[in-house]
Amino acid sequence: MFEVFETVLGRCSNLGASYIELRGESGFQEYIQMDDEKISALTQRIEKGVAVRALVDGAWGFVSTSSLNKLDEAIEDAFKMAKVVAKNRREPVKIADTRIYKDSIESRAKEDPRNVPISDKIGYLKNIHRIIRDFDERIKAVTVKLRTASGVKYLLTSEGTKIESPVNLIWVYTWVTGKESKRLSAGRHEESSTHEGWEFVQKKATPKKIGELVANRVVMQLEGVPAKAGTFPCVLGPRVVGVLAHEALGHLAEADLTVNSSFNGKIGKTVAAPGVSMTDDGTLKGVLGSSKYDDEGVETSRVEIIKDSVLNEIMTNREYAAKLNLRLTGNARAESFLHPPIIRMRNTFFEEGDLSFDEMLEDIKFGYYCTDFRGGQAQSNASFQVGIQEAYEIINGKLGNPVTDLSISGIATDALFKITGVGRIEDRIWETGRCGKGQEVFVASGGPDIMFEKGGITFGGKT
Amino acid sequence: MKNDELQLLKLCTFGVDKAIREGADAAEILALKHSEVTTEIELAQISQVSKRAESSFSVRVLKDKRMGAAFTNTPHENKVEKAVELAIAAARVSTFDKYRSTLPAKSRYSSVKGLYNKELASRPVSDIVELTAALIDKSIKTDVGLIPMAGGTGVVITSKAYSNSSGVEHFERVSNIYSTLAAVAKTKDGMTPIAYTFDVKKSWDINVDAVVNEVSETIKVIKKNAKGKTEKSTVVFHPIAYSQILQYTLLQSVQGDNVTRGKSKISNNIGDEIASEKMSIVDDGLYREGINTLISDDEGVPRQKTIIMDRGVLKSFLWDHYWASKRGLKSTGNAKRDLRQGLINITPTTIKIPPGKRDVGEIISSIKHGYYVRDVQGAHSSNPESGDFSIVGNPAVLIENGELRGAINGLMVSGNIFELLRNVVEIASEPRNIMSFIAPEIICENVSIISR
Repeated sequence: MFEVFETVLGRCSNLGASYIELRGESGFQEYIQMDDEKISALTQRIEKGVAVRALVDGAWGFVSTSSLNKLDEAIEDAFKMAKVVAKNRREPVKIADTRIYKDSIESRAKEDPRNVPISDKIGYLKNIHRIIRDFDERIKAVTVKLRTASGVKYLLTSEGTKIESPVNLIWVYTWVTGKESKRLSAGRHEESSTHEGWEFVQKKATPKKIGELVANRVVMQLEGVPAKAGTFPCVLGPRVVGVLAHEALGHLAEADLTVNSSFNGKIGKTVAAPGVSMTDDGTLKGVLGSSKYDDEGVETSRVEIIKDSVLNEIMTNREYAAKLNLRLTGNARAESFLHPPIIRMRNTFFEEGDLSFDEMLEDIKFGYYCTDFRGGQAQSNASFQVGIQEAYEIINGKLGNPVTDLSISGIATDALFKITGVGRIEDRIWETGRCGKGQEVFVASGGPDIMFEKGGITFGGKT
Repeated sequence: MKNDELQLLKLCTFGVDKAIREGADAAEILALKHSEVTTEIELAQISQVSKRAESSFSVRVLKDKRMGAAFTNTPHENKVEKAVELAIAAARVSTFDKYRSTLPAKSRYSSVKGLYNKELASRPVSDIVELTAALIDKSIKTDVGLIPMAGGTGVVITSKAYSNSSGVEHFERVSNIYSTLAAVAKTKDGMTPIAYTFDVKKSWDINVDAVVNEVSETIKVIKKNAKGKTEKSTVVFHPIAYSQILQYTLLQSVQGDNVTRGKSKISNNIGDEIASEKMSIVDDGLYREGINTLISDDEGVPRQKTIIMDRGVLKSFLWDHYWASKRGLKSTGNAKRDLRQGLINITPTTIKIPPGKRDVGEIISSIKHGYYVRDVQGAHSSNPESGDFSIVGNPAVLIENGELRGAINGLMVSGNIFELLRNVVEIASEPRNIMSFIAPEIICENVSIISR
């Protein structure tokens, strides 16, 4: 693909664009969905395409095409469209300088999923079904989805960056329904890797692990007691604080959103209780959101968003690094050649503290321990909501009954000051998920158990 | 005009013939050619113009009552052939399912005039840019300190062709234009939540003033703060808010697959009163102004108008070909194919909620104490099986003595969709077009409110 790119870019060099970026992708993807042990989708797909982005007179034009033989036309279109926008911009777009890289990254996947027979994949899904069904007779419906991808991404820019990197994906998702008389419950769980091949499901996302986790949640929902409504002291587990780090705080620290968010103007100011630190790190080996370079060819990095309770820095791409005079953090990501790169998180987490789990619980007379979630959403005014699918009462310092569906909410910038304890991390648990900010990217999030005093988190239970 | 579609259809029939020659018992190909030009707003400026031109071919085959599928985005015979081979190979190892034996048969399609607008398709990019520039310009000139932070304008042209081995051959073309505006404003303590709205049209008559006015009126109210209390109260839900709750609860419960799989709480309630008599819900696949309207679904089945609920009584579920066949019923034309995944989802087209008599302003002015929920956070975390939801209203506004007093931070609304629908006491008179919903505000009593 680089050969085509270089030829076309050479031909378009006299257009007058200040920057042209070509991102190509070529790969094989597979999607299998099994509902109650019947296949409802089994799709293989071969796909190739190119994203063209041109910066002309301080404005962007973007074209996505699957026709490599019409790449000249796509670049000219991007150029012309950028020219039209340029007339309407008050402030020209500038991009921060970056090092020019020429690199070719090898895939670390041991067993390319495209070489694994479909029958093995179906067998894997059937095993998950079996473990879930056998767990409890109240399980009534099971859906399991498997997505795999293997391919190559190509980045060539008019500045000379030339990077070839692998595309790997193994994604497993389960949704399970339980029923007891008229009561229905539901639970979900997903696992994914962007660095490993089929070995990921054999060693990590095993049918036993996934099946028992999700089935247990569904059964607990059937047996749980309703949550009370109001605000209570609580401890949020690693998966829930992870989604809080991502949804409620991480998005506020994406430079394109910070400008209109509650974090605006707060760099250098205390934004959290003592002992609270939160980081986004794209360099962690083997973790879902990690990669060596971002989709603008910038090296990824560790971004210490909240450091010792102070808002320390935010995530950038080349445009926002120039606009706000900040360092390049390597957070520009695009879902595929169908989308332009925008500022996205990678692996976002609260740093650990020094309390044990028992120490956190001991002073709570009545509260909740929330361990797993089903979706979350944040707003520019720092309001967040997280749906909880696994939680327990805390009564006199001990874990009590499981709790049925509920959701928690708060204003993140207030809630951070209500943190009264941060736990130790014995064995880090990553929540591996997908973030949708107009386009889907794979992200990880996590942290230790974190304790909030009454007033930090509101529980949307029964009034 | 029809050249694109005829070419797509030719490739579809070529692939279907190839599949049958290769041993498939039945085969279908859905092809889409999608062209979209969009402008995007960021920080009160146009951030970029994007153009996406994409061809998609989604192949599905049945062999020995087993199903396989494949996808290619390259519109050439050799790639379609390859996709057919992959689909057949997949079907060979797929699970046996006695209901995977047929594809939809030929049917007569309804006619909906004006789904494609030639003038819309021929507008230059500069016109789209200027429309977005006007949206920004008018926004920043309002007196409420509006900051347009996202949104834009897009023109979308979709050509669709479908062919199957039961003799269905069909093609059509649609166009739409939409504008969205999402804005915030500075407050004493920080920022307001985002307020947004849409306009969707079949021709070049986006009402920029109406879009800006609606967002501006909302921002004016939510720049002020108010306090709520934990209680059961009257709530006026804007369609942007309750359409999300419906989407993740009730509308999941009326999907034929969920009904059949025991995932719907109302699977045995056809003919029963499950909501207030004020409430009717129609899925209108042929609504001319609908952004999703086409005359066929993604299995070549004619789209139709389906009454889901009539004055509180559950009338029908929504079906695709497979799940309807399994139950001895007919598809309601609600098959939507996720092209890349090959999965057929049963999906509503345009949901319409018939209006009531009084204007929403008049209704609000008659409420002594209650809440106006304009948008929600977290509807997607609702429990689609039980219908339980627990969400944040944001923006949510306190109503006191008939007036909108100001925004309440962190107001939660919890309940169950079936209880909420039984508590609908009035429906406002003016339906709003919010993409796939045409609906006015609804007013519910006895709603659980949790305030911080």
